[in-house]
Amino acid sequence: MSEAALLNWVLYLPVIGIALLIAVPDKAEGQIRWLTFAITAAQFVAIVALYVAFDGDQAGLQFETRLPWIPDWGVHYQIGLDGYNVLLVLLTGFLGPLVVAGAFTAITKDVKLFYAMLLLIQFAMLGTFLAQDLFVFYIFWETMLIPMFLLIGIWGGERRIYATLKFVLYTAFGSILMLAAVIYLVWSLQQTSGITSFAFADLYRAQLPLSTQTILLCAFGLSFAIKVPMVPLHTWLPDAHVEAPTAGSVILAGVLLKMGTYGFMKLGFPLFPDATRAFAPAIMALGTLSIVYGACLALVQNDIKKIIAYSSISHLGYVMLGLASLDLLGIQGAMVQMVSHGLTAAGLFLMVGMIYERCHTRDLAAYGGLAKLLPVYSVFFMILTLASIGLPTTSGFTGEFLSLLGAFTASWPRYLAGEITPLASTAIAVTGVVLGALYMLRFAKTFLFGESKAPHMPLVDLDLRERLILVAIVAAVFALGLFPDDPMRKTELASKEFQQLVETSRLPANALSARESQRSTP
Amino acid sequence: MNWTALFTAMMPEHLLLAGIVVLVALEIISERSRGALVVATASVSAAAAAAFWLYSGGIDASPFAGQFSIDPQWSLAKALVLSLAVPILLMSRDEFRDGPFYPLLLSSLYGFCLLLSSDSFLTLFLGLELLALPVYTLVLLAFRRPESAEAALKYLVLGGAASATFLMGVSLLYGGSGSLGIAAFATALEATDAMAIAAVVMILVSFFLKAAIVPFHAWAPDAYEGASVPVTAYMATIVKAGALLAVLRLVGDARVSGYVAGLVAFLPLVSIVWGNLTAMRQPSFRRMIAYSSIAHAGYLFYAFLGEGPGRFQAIVFYLVAYGVMNLLAFASLPQDADDAARDRLETLRGLYARRPYAAVMIGIAMLSLAGIPPFPGFVAKFLIFRNVMMAGYTTYAVLGLVGSYLGIYFYLRVIQYMFMSPTATAHDATPAKVAVSAGLLCLAAAIVLSVLPGWAIGLL
Repeated sequence: MSEAALLNWVLYLPVIGIALLIAVPDKAEGQIRWLTFAITAAQFVAIVALYVAFDGDQAGLQFETRLPWIPDWGVHYQIGLDGYNVLLVLLTGFLGPLVVAGAFTAITKDVKLFYAMLLLIQFAMLGTFLAQDLFVFYIFWETMLIPMFLLIGIWGGERRIYATLKFVLYTAFGSILMLAAVIYLVWSLQQTSGITSFAFADLYRAQLPLSTQTILLCAFGLSFAIKVPMVPLHTWLPDAHVEAPTAGSVILAGVLLKMGTYGFMKLGFPLFPDATRAFAPAIMALGTLSIVYGACLALVQNDIKKIIAYSSISHLGYVMLGLASLDLLGIQGAMVQMVSHGLTAAGLFLMVGMIYERCHTRDLAAYGGLAKLLPVYSVFFMILTLASIGLPTTSGFTGEFLSLLGAFTASWPRYLAGEITPLASTAIAVTGVVLGALYMLRFAKTFLFGESKAPHMPLVDLDLRERLILVAIVAAVFALGLFPDDPMRKTELASKEFQQLVETSRLPANALSARESQRSTP
Repeated sequence: MNWTALFTAMMPEHLLLAGIVVLVALEIISERSRGALVVATASVSAAAAAAFWLYSGGIDASPFAGQFSIDPQWSLAKALVLSLAVPILLMSRDEFRDGPFYPLLLSSLYGFCLLLSSDSFLTLFLGLELLALPVYTLVLLAFRRPESAEAALKYLVLGGAASATFLMGVSLLYGGSGSLGIAAFATALEATDAMAIAAVVMILVSFFLKAAIVPFHAWAPDAYEGASVPVTAYMATIVKAGALLAVLRLVGDARVSGYVAGLVAFLPLVSIVWGNLTAMRQPSFRRMIAYSSIAHAGYLFYAFLGEGPGRFQAIVFYLVAYGVMNLLAFASLPQDADDAARDRLETLRGLYARRPYAAVMIGIAMLSLAGIPPFPGFVAKFLIFRNVMMAGYTTYAVLGLVGSYLGIYFYLRVIQYMFMSPTATAHDATPAKVAVSAGLLCLAAAIVLSVLPGWAIGLL
């Protein structure tokens, strides 16, 4: 089988899984669980094979499929792997079976629907990453809403309806404006170059005046910034995380939030390079705001899910900072940081879910001294805490360090040229590292050490299933921390392409000359 | 007169007429005829197949020159909308076992066919009235509660007002141009004299009334609520399609600008916003669908802002996608002996626990009506807004999209009731197999439209 065909199998495997699930009787919960696990595991194996086959020295799309889908509008069904999405696809495939296995004991209501929704969201997320055509991208992007809406709304906590509606209404608002921008962008491309196409590769050639670029960047950016989420558009996230079932939180933190940063990297910035360069300092400042504000809020939370939710906001701030720096190291750091956060946040949410299943409370004050009560649990928790802080040898270090380094490298010459915002943003962002250590260690201190107490005694330590899940995540965290060179080599060309796309001006030729003449007349 | 041309070109109409005759004969022969549903379904399917055959044969003919003509494009529209009537007939099985329902529905469909082939205002008016008159009776036919009578009366009076306005506009147009051909309307769109403007405005307003555009919408919620489920489904899909396609027949590819553009942009925009906002507060499913249909009429009229050649494609695709989704929802509604109870949104609480497949189907219909991909409602909406934006009405397009965002909440509320609430104490009867098959037909159509939108768009 060719790799392109395999990639299609990977994408549609969850759909086949849903069809199979419908055939399984509702009562056979064990079969439903293992069938879903088998599907996601097979998917992961295939993704690993594709990742190994992916050639980092070759620019552009690999394993591409391109078929006409709506010929009248120039829409193609086009998917493929490239340096932008290869790591995120790997992350999505990796988390899939872990999420499924993590929910084995937690979900007892409407089991079949639950696993069908997990498969559906897996399908939508992979489709969003793999799509190379804006129309197809948008369809997958929006499809993600449906399973997430149900995951939070059916299996969530007490205020689940409020949380899930808030999530959907926030994200849908961004999407509607993005839809308007998509239509306008494609129409402009048709007007200026005569090409009717939704393919990313064609859209990267669209020439737009600065004012249009700014408006469209705002429309795309709003949608992506809500998803990331960037402060001040973040208020849906804590609610969604707190009310979501563990599987929902893991998917949300592990993959869904990366949709926003991936969107900026693949679409927002390279489609509108001139506007991006003009706003890069502002975006860096917003990234810093997310880092510091998220960290400060995480510091004062007493709900253990909220601490990790706010830490997600903070960690994704580094991604935005690295991307907006437009420095090669910063971009690569941002890519690693995306994967690293996906691993640590997913791991932490899984662990919170495990303790919640035992004690049924998320109140931090109810816990203490778990190191004595649950030794194995505590070891894993400590490792993930340190990875989240960004200790060297873990993946968090590579990501944060490179993002900050890139941001600094990019801001220094600008500072010398008289522009102070980027450097100030970077300097303040560095304090986020300290704040990050502060809130995570405060969390770990109260949680693991001190007087032993738990709302529900006696506690049973992790069983084999839970241990295996956590071993897989911890192994991935160390692998990315100790050997970041292979993933970084596979993304290097894409980072360079991203940098080049954003740094090349794409104002229309006549507008450029008009401005030249304007400048020369006075 | 060429009798062969007359026979072939009017084949769909003839088949419907044959169906009506047989149905009436059956009614006379036996008190409780069991074959009515079969005859009606066969007749409508045959008519749809005939229209499709006329389309694929590429037949262009005008058996009555200047009054009635067919061309492949409009034959296709005829075939598609006639196919929508099949699930309506199937789902009516439990509501109307016998009686005048079937001949009335077929007469109304006959009017619809006439409308789509009309070349003069006379045929157009004939078609419009024939489409609407049986529906007044149909609303009353399910006389289960007092609201039905009120609904029918309101619908009748406002329908009469619409007809009067239409006729007034037509006579003004005739006074100005001396022609009753529908081409006079497109010419009047460009004219600037007061009489032409008055004529155009009156004719458009009469269609706003028929399609329930704010501020001419007040009859729709009452009529939809008072009628029975199949009749509401019929009004929301085919009658609405009739009004829109009549306007399309009149406007054609003519350029829409000036005050006409203002008219077909502003009032529909208000409809989108108002319909979506008001739908949020409705306790009754059919009232909610009524307000939703007011908003959808807004999107449909928006399509006239687009460039001429794309209008037909946009409107017909939208009508079919919207019709299929509405019918899917109506066909999957749980049965209940008490019509008022059946209509309450509260009855849908916990439906997933009771009837998972019905809940999933209604859920798909709601998401599609909300315009969320990958369901066909999204492609339909995209098509319209794309045309509007490409015609240069960027502001209206953005405002319309934001207005459509307002609608997401109440569609999601239905899903919330079905999936996320504890089950209501409803005693829904087992749905008949025929009604289930109506839902499955719509679901199959929805899947085809989601997976292969390109094929469907290429067809139009």
